[in-house]
Amino acid sequence: MTNLSTLIKSGVSRRNFLAGAGASAGAIAALGIAGCGNNNSTKTTPPATVTDADILNFALNLEYLEASFYLYAATGAGLDAADTTAGSASTYQTVGTVTVGDAAAVSGLTAAQQQILNEIAFEEQAHVRFLRSALGTAAIPMPDIDLSFFGPLAVAATITTAPTGAGSFNPFSSFDYFLVGAFIFEDVGVTAYSGAAPLISTAGVASGYLTAAAGILAVEAYHAGYIRTSLTGRAIAAGSASAYPYLAAANLVANLRATLTVGASAAPSTSGSVETMLTLPTSITSASAIVAASSTDAVGFSRTVDQVLHVVYGSPTVGASKGGFFPSGINSPLATTTA
Amino acid sequence: MANQETQLLDQIITTSRRKMLSLGVSSLAGLAVGGIALQAKAATAAYSDADILNFALNLEYLEANFYYMAAFGTTIDKANSASTAAAAPLISLSGTVGTAGTVSGGSQVPFSTIPVASYAIETAVEEGKHVQLLLTALGSSAVAQPAINIGTAFQTLATAALIPGGSAFSPYASDGTFLVGAYVFEDVGVTAYHGAASLLTTPANLVTAAGILAVEAYHAGLIRTTINYLDPTGATIAGYTNLISTLRATLSQAGLLGVAPSPYDANPDDFGLATFSVSLGSGSSTTATRITDADATNVVAFARNTTQVLNIVTGGGAVSGTAAVSPAVGVFFPAGLNAGPNGFK
Repeated sequence: MTNLSTLIKSGVSRRNFLAGAGASAGAIAALGIAGCGNNNSTKTTPPATVTDADILNFALNLEYLEASFYLYAATGAGLDAADTTAGSASTYQTVGTVTVGDAAAVSGLTAAQQQILNEIAFEEQAHVRFLRSALGTAAIPMPDIDLSFFGPLAVAATITTAPTGAGSFNPFSSFDYFLVGAFIFEDVGVTAYSGAAPLISTAGVASGYLTAAAGILAVEAYHAGYIRTSLTGRAIAAGSASAYPYLAAANLVANLRATLTVGASAAPSTSGSVETMLTLPTSITSASAIVAASSTDAVGFSRTVDQVLHVVYGSPTVGASKGGFFPSGINSPLATTTA
Repeated sequence: MANQETQLLDQIITTSRRKMLSLGVSSLAGLAVGGIALQAKAATAAYSDADILNFALNLEYLEANFYYMAAFGTTIDKANSASTAAAAPLISLSGTVGTAGTVSGGSQVPFSTIPVASYAIETAVEEGKHVQLLLTALGSSAVAQPAINIGTAFQTLATAALIPGGSAFSPYASDGTFLVGAYVFEDVGVTAYHGAASLLTTPANLVTAAGILAVEAYHAGLIRTTINYLDPTGATIAGYTNLISTLRATLSQAGLLGVAPSPYDANPDDFGLATFSVSLGSGSSTTATRITDADATNVVAFARNTTQVLNIVTGGGAVSGTAAVSPAVGVFFPAGLNAGPNGFK
């Protein structure tokens, strides 16, 4: 009889999934994101081995963030407190807080739009619960989450110049702004699971973790498909790029994600190629660009742990351990970027 | 690209075969952690990565030909002005394992809206690239394109799904019916790659499969989203998705007949675009719409084993009310799939 807790303690067949991600980043210009918190530049040595629990907990950090965002957008409140607590065996015991900022139920939604928001919020909440349940006593608590980071992030992406207040980017202010806010996360969620899937140990594969991760990956891609289809479809309906600036805003987000990771990790993103820009089809003979995938073979991208962290920390700095959406860092031995 | 594919090929050829998850039901039961049934798939035979990738190639032949026909009015191995304009890969049918067949049925959809037309073109190109990728990766081990029916097969399936007017249903008639036709495939592609993921032995193959899985799920999300926009109340095409999902679930369950039941095979394992009740945060219940085809508790996408997938794409045993037949023949694959000596049929 194998269960997760014994698997975690046994430490068998672990793979070092940081191997190969050690390309030198060289000198990377700091983005100078106003008000996004300090990037801790203290470089720490990554753990020699990474457990399956570490991988699942890494995913749980991201799910806490996504669930908080979508729950606020759908209902105006975040995760239930019972879904944020620390497992008794976790190294991390402090339950974080959510800096709410402008977070609130998105206003002006149609009934159909509200039902979709409810669905995505429910599904991300379910992922939090699923991972917490699978991890049992090893589950990390929710880390500090800053939902006011959308403003500074949009400034860094050159969507707007005001980080807060009038003229700032607020994903909770309308359905279209929400789509751009969600765009920040979904492709990243897909690629994070894709990057993590091969890292699961042989024992973990036998235990069903790989297929569980693949199943969550698929759900994130369904969500990303919804977000990208909606942005594209609403731009087509508006008739032009200028009439629907949200499409361009989403592409600026994709540009920023690329900037944050280019050169900061090993392949495949050394040229920023893990992004597929949205397009505006103008006739029935032009193609859309809903799917984010390699233009060569239409295989979806993957991101390393470091690449994911650079995005959610809003920092290209190697050695960054916190910032952006995670002002105190994620609860993980992998919290510090190493490449 | 050549480098990467050559590498992939080498890995496939040299890969040591690993027994597919062969845990019995009793040992699997121990994996239910904290009431969560992790979805491990049980199977008994040993297969190589090439067997699994060839199974995927059969499905990609089907999908790509459907989308090429709908978007361009041609099959994947014959270029025309529309496919050339879209830079869709012209596929050289280089696979030789098994029996080569022909593609029958289908015609270009007279698209009337930009969103649906542009999605069709994008999807066709992407599925063509998947075929190309798998053909190149498998090289001389690649299976030939089997006989494929993308014409009357849809009427057979629509009739079995009890879609109104199903005996005359054509996915090539309009934007709406095209989306319904596409709906038939995409969620199945997701579940097939999902089911296969844990069977692959070479990490590079797993990354590729995970990447293709993601693309199939993007497509599925795109199809569902568009259907939801066009029919928010479920009166027509969104309603059809429920009928199709119900049929797929039935066929999928029939694919489990004759094998040891596993507590991890959800029943039903397919949901259309219906609304359902959810509880968010610490609040009360509200209504949500299913854009995702996943189980309602953990929201992990479904995985299907190869027999389940075969049963869906061939109309399987459920149509005749019996257990899955072997080899699986019918509907989209009138002569069955092509497989290597050790592959799935």
